[in-house]
Amino acid sequence: MQPTLLSAAGLTLGYRDVPILKGVTFEVTLGDVFAVVGQNGSGKSTLIKTLLGNLPPLAGELRWGNTKPEIIACLGQGSGFDNHFPLRVRDLAAMGAWPGLGILGKVDKACQNRINTALERTGIIEIADMPLYKLSAGQLQRALFARTIIQNASLILLDEPFTAVDQTTEAELLTLIDDWAAEGRTVVLVLHDLSAVLQHCNSVLLLGSDGALFGQPKQILTTHNLVNYGYLSQSQATWFESMYANQDEQYV
Amino acid sequence: MFEWLEYSFMVRALAATLVLSFSVAPVGAFLVLRRLSLAGEAMAHAIVPGIVIAFVVSGLSVVSMIIGGLSAGVVVAALTSLLARRTIIREDASLASLYLIALALGIFILSAAGSAVPLKSFLFGSILGIDDETLLLIGATATITLISFALITRPLIINTIDPIFHESQSKHPGLVTQWFMFLVVLNLLGAFKALGTLMAVGLMILPATAARYWVSTITHFLILTFLFALMSCWIGLIVSFYLPEVPSGPAIVLVAGIIFFISLIFAPQGFHVVNRLSPDNNEKTTSTQLNSTLNQGELSDEKNL
Repeated sequence: MQPTLLSAAGLTLGYRDVPILKGVTFEVTLGDVFAVVGQNGSGKSTLIKTLLGNLPPLAGELRWGNTKPEIIACLGQGSGFDNHFPLRVRDLAAMGAWPGLGILGKVDKACQNRINTALERTGIIEIADMPLYKLSAGQLQRALFARTIIQNASLILLDEPFTAVDQTTEAELLTLIDDWAAEGRTVVLVLHDLSAVLQHCNSVLLLGSDGALFGQPKQILTTHNLVNYGYLSQSQATWFESMYANQDEQYV
Repeated sequence: MFEWLEYSFMVRALAATLVLSFSVAPVGAFLVLRRLSLAGEAMAHAIVPGIVIAFVVSGLSVVSMIIGGLSAGVVVAALTSLLARRTIIREDASLASLYLIALALGIFILSAAGSAVPLKSFLFGSILGIDDETLLLIGATATITLISFALITRPLIINTIDPIFHESQSKHPGLVTQWFMFLVVLNLLGAFKALGTLMAVGLMILPATAARYWVSTITHFLILTFLFALMSCWIGLIVSFYLPEVPSGPAIVLVAGIIFFISLIFAPQGFHVVNRLSPDNNEKTTSTQLNSTLNQGELSDEKNL
């Protein structure tokens, strides 16, 4: 049994007394790939902000296990990202190392090697010297994952990282997430791709407008729950059920 | 040909603009990158009443000029954001309204107080008549700016390119942007004496936009912005030496404008006229661009940021 990284009890989050997330209880285990699923506006990004420490809870408790991770890597949604900034792919990846360099430190040979390894792992070493504005959405996301590798964090927060990327890229980046978990890092992953949740995540938090469900993906992501928590419409659910009518498993 | 070097006022002006170019180049570069070019222009006018009041009260004292300029800048910035939040007028219209009022107020006070400084040099600068105290102001501005940029360049890049990531990395993400805005106002004050209130931002924005057409890394961008700023200043000064009727400010900014148009036409990220005219490259633009970028990367020094 792995130790607990953080546990939340009756957590209520929101802005200026307007709660978005109400009374949520869950637990993240060390080395987990922890999925957060929910309809738009259910508080997924708000939860990420609170985990980063940028938004204190309105009520309830968020308790870190033995130690709060020193470095928390975060890959947010694309809005606000300026891809016309004059920077090369390898510089973007290097940004992951900047906080560790201190104010005047330089990127040394060892760090450059780490950057090259990360760019190889994400499959973009050939375009390492390309300026950012020439990248496709998938290439940009790979570069951002390379930056996340360089951050070398024990807790990694990913907010809808596959929204604008194709299936191949998503599949490759998901193997990277598997690797992180195998290395003992904890990953919190906001995701809309339910099949990816089933294949790659150990636990899931399903957020709805009036509460949340927490547990193992196979038990939580049933069509019944997904409809109740506003994630699927009844007609979508009926369609899914007919798809799986011949199988024992009822999840999507 | 070099007779202008025999005049001490020219040597002083050349030295002052060398230091000034070091200072305004990184500020202008980041104003352009952060899409604040027009806000910078507005800010240049917004600080005018502060400078004028300081001026009327205590003459050309550098300290009171900085205090006056900074206070006026803060007041206009705060009022702008207040109006944008509390009223139906949006931020751009609020800022435009307020800086126009500020500029008019500044000129009004200056004229009404019967100041010894002619309006023309207030509007267009008088770098050819620069005094010791202004030299000191420009030197101090450059020192503060360059030390600041040594410290904040990386956080500022992160904040510009990916504010959400910066928020996740920094306890006080707003600090870097506020310090940057302070540097903007400080450099406006430094450039004010040389170029006047109407032209001060020109030396920040035009070299940066011109340089942006040529480069694809931030290091090259900053270096080229500095070189363009310096070229504009020195060529502009020599032009206004030979044409004494032309104030130095517009001459300098006009040279920067010519550099801008040359860059626009010939630079790889402008219209790139040479490349378009050459028949070989017409069909293979994408692959040539890619190759040239890769080559640039290989040729450029291995230094990372």
